[in-house]
Amino acid sequence: MKRIFSKDILKSYAFLLPFAFFIIAFILIPVIGAIINSFYQDVTFKAREFIQFENYTSLFQDSGFWQSLRFSLWFVLVSVPFELLLGMIFALLLNQIRKFRGLIWAAVLIPWAIPSAISARTWELIYNYNYGLANYALSAIGITQEPVNWLGTSIGAFISVVIADAWKTAPFITIILLAGLQGIPDDLYRQSRIDGANFVQGFRKITLPLLKPVIVVALLFRTIDALRVFDVIYVLTGGGPGGATTSLSIFGYNYYINGDFGYGSAVSVVLFAIAFGLSVLYVKMSRFKTGIR
Amino acid sequence: MILHRLFTLGLILLLLAGCGGDAEDEEKQIVFAVGGAPSEIDFWEALIDEFSTEYQIDVSIVRQPTDTDQRRQGLVVSLKARDDDPDVFLMDVAWLAQIAASGWLEPLNTETDRIKTEAFFENILNLADRYNGKLMALPVYVDGGVLYYRMDLLEEIGVKNPPGTWQELIEYSQKVLDIKREDNPDFYGFVWQGAQYEGLICNFLEFASSNNGGFIFEGDSLRLNIPENVEALRMMHDIIHEHKISPPNTYTEFTEEEVRLFFQNGNALFERNWPYAWNLHQSPKSPVKDKIGIDVLPHFEGGESISTLGGWHIGISVYSDVKSEARRFVEYVTSYETQKRLALNLGWNPGRKDVYSDSEVLERLPHFAELRDVFENAYPRPTRPYYSQMSAILQKHLNSALAGEVNPEAALEAAETEIQDIINRYR
Amino acid sequence: MREETVKTILIAAGIILMLSFCLAPFFFMIVTSLSKNPEFLSPAANFKLTLENYSSVIFKESLHFIDYLRNSIIVSGVSAVAGVLTAAVAAFAITRLKLPGKMLILFFALAVSMFPQISIVGYLFKLMTWMGWINTYFALTFPYVAWVLPLSLWILTSYFSQIPKELDRAAYVDGCSRLKVLTKIIMPVAMPAVLSTMLLAFIFAFNEFMFALILTSDHHARTVPVGIALFQGLHGEIPWGDIMAASAVTTLPVVILTIIFQRRIIAGLTRGAVKG
Repeated sequence: MKRIFSKDILKSYAFLLPFAFFIIAFILIPVIGAIINSFYQDVTFKAREFIQFENYTSLFQDSGFWQSLRFSLWFVLVSVPFELLLGMIFALLLNQIRKFRGLIWAAVLIPWAIPSAISARTWELIYNYNYGLANYALSAIGITQEPVNWLGTSIGAFISVVIADAWKTAPFITIILLAGLQGIPDDLYRQSRIDGANFVQGFRKITLPLLKPVIVVALLFRTIDALRVFDVIYVLTGGGPGGATTSLSIFGYNYYINGDFGYGSAVSVVLFAIAFGLSVLYVKMSRFKTGIR
Repeated sequence: MILHRLFTLGLILLLLAGCGGDAEDEEKQIVFAVGGAPSEIDFWEALIDEFSTEYQIDVSIVRQPTDTDQRRQGLVVSLKARDDDPDVFLMDVAWLAQIAASGWLEPLNTETDRIKTEAFFENILNLADRYNGKLMALPVYVDGGVLYYRMDLLEEIGVKNPPGTWQELIEYSQKVLDIKREDNPDFYGFVWQGAQYEGLICNFLEFASSNNGGFIFEGDSLRLNIPENVEALRMMHDIIHEHKISPPNTYTEFTEEEVRLFFQNGNALFERNWPYAWNLHQSPKSPVKDKIGIDVLPHFEGGESISTLGGWHIGISVYSDVKSEARRFVEYVTSYETQKRLALNLGWNPGRKDVYSDSEVLERLPHFAELRDVFENAYPRPTRPYYSQMSAILQKHLNSALAGEVNPEAALEAAETEIQDIINRYR
Repeated sequence: MREETVKTILIAAGIILMLSFCLAPFFFMIVTSLSKNPEFLSPAANFKLTLENYSSVIFKESLHFIDYLRNSIIVSGVSAVAGVLTAAVAAFAITRLKLPGKMLILFFALAVSMFPQISIVGYLFKLMTWMGWINTYFALTFPYVAWVLPLSLWILTSYFSQIPKELDRAAYVDGCSRLKVLTKIIMPVAMPAVLSTMLLAFIFAFNEFMFALILTSDHHARTVPVGIALFQGLHGEIPWGDIMAASAVTTLPVVILTIIFQRRIIAGLTRGAVKG
């Protein structure tokens, strides 16, 4: 046996070649290219020129950059806990049902499966000032008299984006948490009920601690996704009103599409650095949790 | 280049796997990128049919979005990618400079093949179409903001003439609102383009320049935060929030077509739009047919009516594979006959001066003679290749002032500083 | 007993609320797509049933919706198959062969999946320009394969490591090569897992937006999400009826797939995310 496996490790690595080709050619080289390009002034209407750190010095003085950085951080801080809460509630509910289980689980999965650009378009119509579902429902229940200008105010647009994003991503969190929940033996709950604990106590004493590793995974996945959010905002608000919902991705994209590849690259490198830092953190933590097989 | 080989290898592999993309060779065909309202697309489709039969050159249309920014972005992608399609396209006067300065336009004249330009507006050719002394584009139509108003409703409140000043516009609106609101809660006084896009800049410049404001350049240094501009921006804000004569979603959703439909459905007294709206308002099924008038925009006390210079220009891609055919097409689009049809069918203001004295045009569109001077003296936006970036910043700050997030001074001050940074970076 | 009833009612209410939150936008999409007038909720208008929107998105060639749909299906399909097969080969090596640093490779793949697309797409545009691939299927297929690889690798690694090692030992004893073991032993055994991973990869590629937005310029290669995001109708204003009809046509197959393969999707997602 031993002969086969120890003989030619290089040959084993050959199995990784196609994988490496795609990752290197279409992800790593572009990222390195963006880093190099961020040291150039690269606009369509002038000759390309090496300008060292000038893109970065302009960037750090650019109030538009700080606005979008601030937005992205706020978006992470608000949307991730909100989605986690929603996902937790959904998971606890789903864990209770016995009838129509397949159908209900599938219903919760549907928002996740619909392309976010398409669902964002639907949300755009839902938020429509004159004939959107949101204003109709709110006034039908009697919560508001005047229609709400959802996409027209900074705070309204922020809430709109958070809700539309949560709709899309809560199912993902639900599924992950559900997997964790189902791993918790029922006996634990039975025992705690015998000990006189109510639901809340049971949740705090048993569910949360046992779910902690799964929650950490969901949190970090979602944090990085929220940090790089693009589709929903591009469709729903385009970054407005007044740049209030411009995420870092939207900010960088606008420079690319205006023909300034150097500056856009600098923006993307900053976002990359933040995301990379977080993912290293994640890798460290998850290595810690899963252990190496 | 090892990398290049690797890619080619990948390409071959994929081809062998039998999932090729667009392998088949196309015959010589002009691809013409154009966007706009549905009636405009219909017009272009009819036009290319006739061109094809007359010249035996095949033309196909690539439909672009109506939004000018999205049209520019689509072109930037194709041109930056050195795509041989589209061959011919229309460009907004606002970003023609970027396309020209990027070297993406083929000069219209060659040694042997020259296009006559005497009939065009000389000032506009110099402002927009000539780059480094070479003719790069030609105006298909010129544009300027105009005021549409409901004659029937003004009559109801005993007013004969359209408003001369913005103050009068507010006053008339409020009077009409008092009557109309009872049976139509969705009725508003004045609709205009306030969404965060290029149209907002045009509207702002009309308010500002009618108050002797606008972009104030001294060489490469820009002033925006001046009292005239602040007053203009405050007026725009107040029209929505104080006087409430414009819909509250003006600054989120209102672009040309939203505004046009709002007015055309009979839900507004005044409308700021481009001349193209006239023919659509007067179309047979339009609820406001024969109830409307057209005039120059209002102004502030002590200012005068000014329109922002708009308009679309036609040019040929430097990467085109059918350049000489494309020249024929450009010539055809800018010919007297086509330009006259543009005016008659779409109500557009032709890029050629000679069409304005055509008796048939004047008979059908009497307001042409009156408005022509306005367009010739219209307020031009800065023709800098990085205008789009300047505009994006200004749009953002104007829009947040309209939303009431910041006050007009702060918005203009921030815009001034940030645009100055842009100028310093690219000059 | 009473406490149980209260609990049941609460759970039922919770589930109804949850379902309406998840499904309301979807239903609103369908209803609007069937309405003559998208403004049917405003007091001045009412709902009139029509199939016009569907016929216009399906039959009006100038809207190019069917082109977008075909592009999406081809690009996502090819990327999913190519991506998952590539990932299967790599997962085989990681789970079955002696490969120093295999955990490093797995975590590297994980880190790659967290790269922001915006830091890839700018240079990708230059790369594709250089290859002359902008606005072709190639411009999307290659990056999409790379895009679905990390996820596929993690899922398949997890599946493959559950296949008993005795199976391939027996094959090696019979003199099979490693490639043969992969194609003749592992792949057939893992076929259901490979197929469900392909489904997940397909959904991932089908959802992708930013690459398609920048690397394509018209209906020759543009995908459905971008097509719908930039949708311009024949009526000037935002053609909500058409947009919602196009969205519904795109979404329905996805919804049906989700209902049928719900169990497999969930299994795949949890493997990719939690266990590894």
